[in-house]
Amino acid sequence: MSREGQKLDYAAAGGNGAGGVGIGVLSLDLLGQVLDRLREPRDRKACRLVSRAFERAEATHRRALRVLRREPLPRLLRAFPSLERLDLSACASLDDASLSAAIAAAGAGGLAGLRRVCLARASGVGWRGLEALVAACPRLEAVDLSHCVGAGDREVAALAAAAGLRELRLDKCLAVTDMGLAKVVVGCPRLEKLSVKWCREISDIGIDLLAKKCPELRSLNISYLKVGNGSLRSISTLEKLEELAMVGCSCIDDEGLELLSKGSDSLQSVDVSRCDHVTYQGLASLIDGRKFLQKLHVADCLHEIGQRFVSKLATLKETLTALKLDGLEVSDSLLQAIGEGCNKLVEIGLSKCSGVTDEGISSLVARCTDLRTIDLTCCNLITNNALDSIADNCKMLECLRLESCSLINEKGLERIANCSPNLKEIDLTDCGVNDAALQHLAKCSELRTLKLGLCSSISDKGIAFISSNCGKLVELDLYRCNSITDDGLAALVNGCKKIKLLNLCYCNKITDSGLGHLGSLEELTNLELRCLVRITGIGISSIATGCKSLIELDLKRCYSVDDAGLGALARNAFNLRQLTISYCQVTGLGLCHLLSSLRCLQDIKMVHLSWVSIEGFEIALRAACGRLKKLKMLNGLKTVLSPELLQMLHACGCRIRWVDKPLVYKDC
Amino acid sequence: MASGTATNADPDQQTVRSNSVEQFYFPRPGQSLPGIPPFFGPPSSSLYLANDNEAKVGNQLEPNPSQSTDWDPQAIVSNLTFLEQKIKQVKDVVQSMSNRENQVASGSCEVAAKQQLITADLTSIIIQLITTAGSLLPSMKNPLSSNPAVRQLSNTLGSPMGFGMNANQRPSVDSKTDIPDIGKASGYEELINSLNTTQDERDELIKGPNPCGGEGSEPTPMEDHDVKESDDGDHEGENLPPGSYVVLQLEKEEILAPHTHFCLICGKGFKRDANLRMHMRGHGDEYKTAAALAKPTRDSGSDHAPVTRYSCPFVGCKRNKEHKKFQPLKTILCVKNHYKRSHCDKSYTCSRCNTKKFSVIADLKTHEKHCGRDKWLCSCGTTFSRKDKLFGHVALFQGHTPALPMDDVKVSEASEQQQGSEPMNEISRSMGCFPCSSSDGISNLDMKMADDVRGYYSPMSFDPCFGALDDFTRPGFDISEDPFSFLPSGCTSNNETSRVNKGSNVPPLGLWKWTETLSDFSH
Repeated sequence: MSREGQKLDYAAAGGNGAGGVGIGVLSLDLLGQVLDRLREPRDRKACRLVSRAFERAEATHRRALRVLRREPLPRLLRAFPSLERLDLSACASLDDASLSAAIAAAGAGGLAGLRRVCLARASGVGWRGLEALVAACPRLEAVDLSHCVGAGDREVAALAAAAGLRELRLDKCLAVTDMGLAKVVVGCPRLEKLSVKWCREISDIGIDLLAKKCPELRSLNISYLKVGNGSLRSISTLEKLEELAMVGCSCIDDEGLELLSKGSDSLQSVDVSRCDHVTYQGLASLIDGRKFLQKLHVADCLHEIGQRFVSKLATLKETLTALKLDGLEVSDSLLQAIGEGCNKLVEIGLSKCSGVTDEGISSLVARCTDLRTIDLTCCNLITNNALDSIADNCKMLECLRLESCSLINEKGLERIANCSPNLKEIDLTDCGVNDAALQHLAKCSELRTLKLGLCSSISDKGIAFISSNCGKLVELDLYRCNSITDDGLAALVNGCKKIKLLNLCYCNKITDSGLGHLGSLEELTNLELRCLVRITGIGISSIATGCKSLIELDLKRCYSVDDAGLGALARNAFNLRQLTISYCQVTGLGLCHLLSSLRCLQDIKMVHLSWVSIEGFEIALRAACGRLKKLKMLNGLKTVLSPELLQMLHACGCRIRWVDKPLVYKDC
Repeated sequence: MASGTATNADPDQQTVRSNSVEQFYFPRPGQSLPGIPPFFGPPSSSLYLANDNEAKVGNQLEPNPSQSTDWDPQAIVSNLTFLEQKIKQVKDVVQSMSNRENQVASGSCEVAAKQQLITADLTSIIIQLITTAGSLLPSMKNPLSSNPAVRQLSNTLGSPMGFGMNANQRPSVDSKTDIPDIGKASGYEELINSLNTTQDERDELIKGPNPCGGEGSEPTPMEDHDVKESDDGDHEGENLPPGSYVVLQLEKEEILAPHTHFCLICGKGFKRDANLRMHMRGHGDEYKTAAALAKPTRDSGSDHAPVTRYSCPFVGCKRNKEHKKFQPLKTILCVKNHYKRSHCDKSYTCSRCNTKKFSVIADLKTHEKHCGRDKWLCSCGTTFSRKDKLFGHVALFQGHTPALPMDDVKVSEASEQQQGSEPMNEISRSMGCFPCSSSDGISNLDMKMADDVRGYYSPMSFDPCFGALDDFTRPGFDISEDPFSFLPSGCTSNNETSRVNKGSNVPPLGLWKWTETLSDFSH
């Protein structure tokens, strides 16, 4: 068939939809290109729903898929045969049987192109599912199994059959031991990235074998492992290693770093944060051997810093771009030396460093004019002078964290706002800034993240300033900004329509009408409304109907929220995954309705639901049994709930956290 | 008797040392070159004396004289002693040199001369070392000339050594003519040639200013103890020459007694000397003095006190001093453990396995720590008692992986679904993915090892040396152990493709960017 004919065909097919003939005449390829340029999944969905041509184009063109529920999984895998990336991390109640069945339904070659699979937190998937997956996906390159706390050697051994595997994340797979690791390294010799963070059973022996069997390794994360210097000796033999993270490895000391420094020159990034036994001497010897180091994270591990370290740091002048010194006691002279030695720095972390003064910051930024990220969290000695010198020197500034720097005020922020047009993130938590400061900050039209927690002097006026110019704002934290009222929210949603994360905890002047305004934030995913005692089911209803993307909702201590609110959530908030309704005035009926309707809900905290009976809990939990992964309940329920139910929950991979708290009603 | 030998040996050492001191601690300026010949002379002559002495002692010790002619450990030992002395000499010289250089800036020719002295000495030591080593080899009448291994040894040793030396090789060259024993000469020639090959030119240069070594006679001592001593004399770990230590032999009752320290007054026994000393206080004021209570100091007499070694009272035991290959025990604890282990009943039985028996309770405890523990198993069927050993094995052999402990659930479930797994077996068989040799395969199957059949047979695990065994068929493979059997039958075809493609090279997609690359599928 000619190309022209094809087009006609599609035109005919698309003719019925609202997309019309105009779209239908375009070729599948072109439509695919169009779809690729749509950033928002929402828009893509609209296209798909409106035109069959688009639907078909997407079916053949779609490369990535994120599945939220297990029921449609087989159908989806069949519908999108050219998938390359599959994310099952949020897929509720996924287990071996459903995964195997879906893979079988995809048929021969259905998943042949799949390269990356994310199974993070998919605690229901065991070795059977993984074996089926690996067998069906011959081109598998990357698997993320992180936070599958139940995963052990057998699961990892199933992955070892994927000989082409290059990337593997096993963070917090608590049961993985040296044996499992050995399976993987023997089975997947081409591994390039491996993270075994928190796999506490892995020892030096396993790491040694890893170094021998996977010479291609480029990135390795051994954070929080109980490995010692012997591992670093093995790791130093890896010729291509670029990134090494070993946060919180308390058995590693200077000797190990010296061994590491004898390895190849490929290493670019080293993270030794929270390694208690590492001192500046060891770091100096490490730097000595690594002329190409770009990132050095030494947060919370150094107690003092010696001249030797500073002088060695200066040898990295040309390469070092990121330096984190969190928790260190620094002096002005040290900051000056860093400024002189490493003037290519892009990122500096001085969080919780005592002794950071205006002079120190001035001498640092005077040389490091490329700085984009400056973290001064809890450096509470700095004043507007420091902000002035930052504003004058760092024109590229994108991220500035000033939490608890209470000596700064609107004057300093004015300089920052005027001189840093690229500012994307600013943290002013507990800085006591006022509306005037927000008026200045509103000049930063690129602002994405704004944290104003505990700044109680901020009022609706300030919010209005922000909303007037910061249309790209994605995250806004107004924790305990208790001067804010419904009018502020009305102003906010007027300008900032892209907000995804919003924290309004303890802003107790907010009422249902304020939440009514929030209902227009269609992209809102995370909303925290803790202790808003005035809001009721009506406000929740407007959120549930308006904020279709809502994933996480915190209603703890919203004492007036009742079954009506839960009912609205149950009917509308289909994407809701995490919910906190502790201390709410709900009954068993509302809870049952909620838990049986929300098919994506995985994590629910329900402490002190005094109006819910035992039977209510029992029935509600039975209804949600297969889907829940995390549950927080009062300890007293442990004995009264039926053991079968608890067993069933446990078998479905649900972890229950029992808390023992007295019932205290407090008004903020 | 034993102490006698020790005291006999001591004066000899003293004389040799004093000789060397006389010669080298105070080298007279300008006389250093003429001083070389006496250096090669007197030590060797003193060695003769020493040998004579040693031989006598050996005869005293050894009641059977025919033994000493046939096989003479004493001679070897004296030879070793000689080498030891030689090395000490060189050390002394070097030390004195360095001291002198620090203090006085002596003439350069003097320094050069001293260096020559040292290198000459080094040469002689190396030659003797090799000769002695050769003589230690068993079953040879004429070890150096007849044994190719020794020749090779001398060759290989020679070249690097020669490289290390930077001066006089004359004495060794001359020694060719001076060696009285012609039988050994050829061996020596080879050795010396090898030593000299790299040094010829330098020799030529040195000949002029250094016309020494006419009497270079250091090889001559070798004739005294060479041909006959071919066996043993080598003590495990330490090479104490017999006679250099005192041999003590405790009685059986003493060894088996629970206490080792007895009160001389009341007879009460103690495990520790310190406790005995505390006890002694009760017997009178004279035991309460600080001196009596103090720990007997070691260094008070350590310099002169003879080294003590122990003999096992069991006649015929190698650790008994009457044994011709007597190997002394180092400490009383060694005696106790040895005697219990070798000559007593094994009265302690392991309560876990009920098979292993021990006579030393510490051995039982060590065993119990490991008894009944999981064996560490490799996919090839080899078991290891320790994990690191298994991992060392896995690291060494391509395609071998550790086998996980058997999972009962898996097997029972798998056997329920035998039918479903049949196609998989067919596929794997037809593809011939069996990298193991047949014996490996059988042992593997015999192990009832459910784990990792696939990993083991996957193309990745092809061992180069087993690659040719494609036509290997799986004898009596237990279907119930097939790990795929739980799969729905629809998956099998996928499996096939996965097997085919597994080895193919797929380019990477990118970095860890799960969240960015994966778009939301909303409904």
